[in-house]
Amino acid sequence: MPRLPGGGGSAFRAFGISVTWFWLGAFALLPSLALLLVSVLDRGELDFFIPALTLGNYRELLGPVFLRVLWDSVRLAFFSTLVCLLAGYPFAYHIARARPKWRPWLLLLVIIPFWTNSLIRTYALILIIGAQGMVNRLLMALGLIDAPLVIMYTDFAVFVGLTYTLLPFMVLPLYASIEKLDTNLLDAARDLGAGSLRAFWHITLPLTLPGIVAGCMLVFLPSLGIFYVPEILGGAKNMLLGTFIKNQFLVANNWPLGAAASAVLTLALILMAGLYRLSSLRVAGREKKGLLGGNGDGKNPRREAANLPEAALR
Amino acid sequence: MKKRLALLVSVIALTVCLAVPAPAADKGQVIVYNWSEYIPQDVLDAFTRETGIKVVYSTFESNEAMYAKVKLLRGKSYDVVVPSGYFVDMMRRDKLIRELDHSKLPNLKNLDKKLMDQEYDPGNKYSVPYMWGAVGLAYNTKYVPKGTLTRWNHLLRPEYKGKIILTDDLRDAFGIALRARGHSINSRDAGEIGEAYEFLAQLKNSVRVFDVTAIKQALISEEVWMGPIWNGDYLVALEENDKLAYVFPEEGAVLWTDSFTIPSGAENVENAYVFINYMLRPDVAARCVEEYKYSTPNLPALDLLPEDLRKNPILVPGPAELRNAEFITSVGDSLAEYEKYWEKLKTLQ
Repeated sequence: MPRLPGGGGSAFRAFGISVTWFWLGAFALLPSLALLLVSVLDRGELDFFIPALTLGNYRELLGPVFLRVLWDSVRLAFFSTLVCLLAGYPFAYHIARARPKWRPWLLLLVIIPFWTNSLIRTYALILIIGAQGMVNRLLMALGLIDAPLVIMYTDFAVFVGLTYTLLPFMVLPLYASIEKLDTNLLDAARDLGAGSLRAFWHITLPLTLPGIVAGCMLVFLPSLGIFYVPEILGGAKNMLLGTFIKNQFLVANNWPLGAAASAVLTLALILMAGLYRLSSLRVAGREKKGLLGGNGDGKNPRREAANLPEAALR
Repeated sequence: MKKRLALLVSVIALTVCLAVPAPAADKGQVIVYNWSEYIPQDVLDAFTRETGIKVVYSTFESNEAMYAKVKLLRGKSYDVVVPSGYFVDMMRRDKLIRELDHSKLPNLKNLDKKLMDQEYDPGNKYSVPYMWGAVGLAYNTKYVPKGTLTRWNHLLRPEYKGKIILTDDLRDAFGIALRARGHSINSRDAGEIGEAYEFLAQLKNSVRVFDVTAIKQALISEEVWMGPIWNGDYLVALEENDKLAYVFPEEGAVLWTDSFTIPSGAENVENAYVFINYMLRPDVAARCVEEYKYSTPNLPALDLLPEDLRKNPILVPGPAELRNAEFITSVGDSLAEYEKYWEKLKTLQ
């Protein structure tokens, strides 16, 4: 941080740090602790919860209902993440390899949809995939189908909605790590006789792995928690985690159970963040040993690529 | 050390800033919490023009969400809230709403006595009816021949599988099921509630989606063929898709009333009375009916309606439509039984 003249730097710094700590404490730590606390309290008749400690809420989560909800949610989130990765990687690759003067514009195109509220964009999807939506009208006009395809209110619609909404979260970290990739390494590989597939497998992929992991986390976790996409596009058959939690708070008036389900979700998030940290530490460790071609001059592309998305996550 | 001090000071400064209470609410406002699509904006504007009282307006989509919020705020922060009948009962038991001074509501005289003094609030001590309506059955005549769908039980026909949208409102859905099984909408009998659940569980096989706010759109865009829907919502949907038909099922429609209440912690109580009394004026009530097509308990307002609305049996149902119909009212402690089955239904595969 640049120091301000006249010794004001340290006061400014202290202010900056305290704002950060206050922010994290008041809006992240305290609510999470409150959530954790409510999750071990008992359900009340008149109040939302009563101060009696119990683990019953977590025991209830072990029942078949929640496990089924969790399984359906994880499965859907997994496939959304997979498709985002398969679509997002070449996407990010092409932006990163485009002419430098084009890149900001291409990135802008990725970001522009964010200027519209995602709730509105989700409703707009109905105009596309609905019974009288663009897709069905087109297919019927072409004579490919006689009756509209049933897309709305299915798992598939939720999958489309999640993939569409979260794709930019995959593209951006991938772009950051691919852009940092040192192309000299690829040239060297080619000089030494590696085909493009082999160069991709042995150089590009490992070096952009932190971007891949970061992107997957940024897509997987929200797709477990977002409740408005399944709420708007999903059907009656499969309840997902976000809706389950929302219902406990707003419909069933069972705050402790909702809090316990949220706590499980938060725990999953922490676990995955831990795994990510572990994997990036291992990458860095291997570099130090020089096993993967680090040259130790402090300008190691892999190190930079590894740090970037991590910083973006914080 | 100095750094730590600066850090501490700024944390304290921030905390103090946030802890100091906001300035007392402006005298000239009334904070209204109402169902979405329920009072036209021009009515609110006219109220402000006439009285000089600013309206702060926010909306909810379900009784449960409204109740959770009002309860969380312990009856503070809102001046007028519009719950459905049985929630009036719950909220007065929870002391979330206050007893009304009828002398401040002279326009009460306009209201239909038949809709007053209900079981959820004897003597209307806590609530004043705003609108009432019915849950009937809408269907698309393009897919279902007109006149072939007349009973709730017909929904179980196998050919309707995946073509039904079902209301996401607990009491509406159970009301339908209880009528279909020949029981009272307000049954407190565990066996009868269980039977209603069995009906809903069977119906769920045919249900494509549960919803409250998007029922209109799903019917208009022909995403589904049929579904229970509030009469006002149907009339609005009909303007967009003239293939839609509506029936008050033979087993009996589910009727509801939504009422004005004043929360116990309201800060602008006098303004709340002025607002409620204004809404009970015949010309204002008539304007609300014209916009949202629900039935009004306001008798003089009916005379002010254009003839096509006044003579419309869906908007102003007569004895033939209301045969076997029943108003939703409180079920007391049995609500927990309903909630238990509702949750079971929602998570049923």
